[in-house]
Amino acid sequence: MTSTEIAAVRPARTPRRSGPRNTLTRSSGLGLGIAMIWFSALVLIPLAAVVVTAADGGWQAFWNTITGPQTAAAIRLTVFTALSVTAVNVVMGPLIAWVLVRDRFWGKSVLEVMIDIPFALPTIVAGLVLLSLYGDADSPLGIDIANERPAVFLAFLFVTLPFVVRMVQPVLEELELDVEEAAASLGASRFTTFRRIILPSLTPAITAGAALSFARGVSEYGSLVLLSGNLPFKTEVTSVRILSSIENDNVVAAASVATVLLAISLAVIVLLDVIQRRVAARG
Amino acid sequence: MSIEVSGLNKKFGDFVALDDVNVTIPTGQLTALLGPSGGGKSTLLRIIAGLEKADTGTVDIEGVDATNLPAQKRNVGFVFQHYAVFKHMTVAKNVAFGLEIRKRPKDEIAHRVDELLKLVHLSQFAHRLPSQLSGGQRQRMALARALAVEPSVLLLDEPFGALDAKVRKELRDWLRRLHDDVHVTTVFVTHDQEEALEVADEIVVINEGRVEQVGTPDQLYDEPANDFVMSFLGEVTHLGGVSLRPHDIELEVAPSLAGSVEGTVSRLVRIGVEVRLTVLTVDGDAVSVVVTRAHARAQRLEEGSTVWLTPATGATVVPRMAAVV
Repeated sequence: MTSTEIAAVRPARTPRRSGPRNTLTRSSGLGLGIAMIWFSALVLIPLAAVVVTAADGGWQAFWNTITGPQTAAAIRLTVFTALSVTAVNVVMGPLIAWVLVRDRFWGKSVLEVMIDIPFALPTIVAGLVLLSLYGDADSPLGIDIANERPAVFLAFLFVTLPFVVRMVQPVLEELELDVEEAAASLGASRFTTFRRIILPSLTPAITAGAALSFARGVSEYGSLVLLSGNLPFKTEVTSVRILSSIENDNVVAAASVATVLLAISLAVIVLLDVIQRRVAARG
Repeated sequence: MSIEVSGLNKKFGDFVALDDVNVTIPTGQLTALLGPSGGGKSTLLRIIAGLEKADTGTVDIEGVDATNLPAQKRNVGFVFQHYAVFKHMTVAKNVAFGLEIRKRPKDEIAHRVDELLKLVHLSQFAHRLPSQLSGGQRQRMALARALAVEPSVLLLDEPFGALDAKVRKELRDWLRRLHDDVHVTTVFVTHDQEEALEVADEIVVINEGRVEQVGTPDQLYDEPANDFVMSFLGEVTHLGGVSLRPHDIELEVAPSLAGSVEGTVSRLVRIGVEVRLTVLTVDGDAVSVVVTRAHARAQRLEEGSTVWLTPATGATVVPRMAAVV
């Protein structure tokens, strides 16, 4: 297409009112270009490569891999545990954030810092901590869940704790107290005010935190390998399964599992977004 | 009497916000709580609404002892300085909130919301979100929301404080007209004496946690109880031993009145129809005087003129407080 043709096409598009209009200038176009290259190199191309590798063996090989009993068990365990951990976080996260924002107590600043420990700690160290506390026959708590399924749950819970808290906290800080007072003076009980005024404002943050929490759970490796024992059909998660496929030189199988995880994560993120819109719109 | 407040005390730490406050607010009137910032007027309003708890003292609303009632049970409408809108709800939903809490039938709610939005001139914005409204519109929405539950009293905390001067003035007139239509007992807090004098039926002047004076705008302006009320309601100058308004001083170029004080015009500024003078008296006071332009011209006043000053007959005069200079 020549430049005159482009110029002829352009004006036809301008009268369109709805939808985002192109606001790119020369420099912001350059910015967008760099962002796209960056994003492609780091995310899009590797993801596409995984899917392509998975497709290498054909549909039948892919299907056989993911429905193989050991792999299917790992996927079920990982997804189910990540979902339940996310559900717990959706309740506990706002609660912890609430305490941190609204209450004044001794040691608050210490707690504030401690919340981030699961972020900052190398996951293998987290695994070691969990192992010494919950995985030892003479554990100081008298709890021994090593090589049991709760070990996976616990490890996920540990590493995903900060996500919802840290997403909700700033939003909660921004909430104006007079809005709650307005609701109270209109006759709303504390519970109603929470449900109809506070919760809808927090929903986007909770959803974002939940998505992160789920994604982190699905991908977790370091913190659980020590405690869970990686027993096939029992405590083996997908990340461990992918690693063992690679070690057995079966890259296609590893990529197949990765593709399934990719699809599930995408589905969950979209689903959470839909739920978030529903709740926010309900008012 | 609609609201009866007696013996209220409230401290925030060491800071005394209210110091033995007794006020009676009449039914159906528009009452202003007027005073400088930090004087305790907002605290008083919030205690009436149940949003703050007094240390001691009682609050009666329409003959019911409300001292220990939570805000939810007081049936007061409250309007906040910064609107306190429910951001995620449409304008109509905001207004309907109190009625939905009360579990009124759906069609009744819809009807009432329509009516109220018409009253505050926001009918065409019913389905917008508050973020799409201007400040003045948001405050009108907040007012409709407060009125929806048919409160026994309507409380407004610096309702126009966050708006620019023009919108402020419009809303002030509009509130006055609205009150003439709706007749709900209304109390509003302001630190703007012009706003209080223009809108209110009755003004309660509050300073440093105490009620300085209660009265109609005329009473307060013409018979201020003390130097504070006088200076808060308008410009004040000091002549001899008294405080008085600059336009209540007689100015002559030759002494003819008993007790007049001699001085020299040190500054002369013409603003529209009035002329503002600063006169240095022989007693060492710098007195502000306002005269009409015609008067100034007739007397041939200019900087350096020697003049004689006397409090005008019938002037509002208050003995000068030692502390005030």
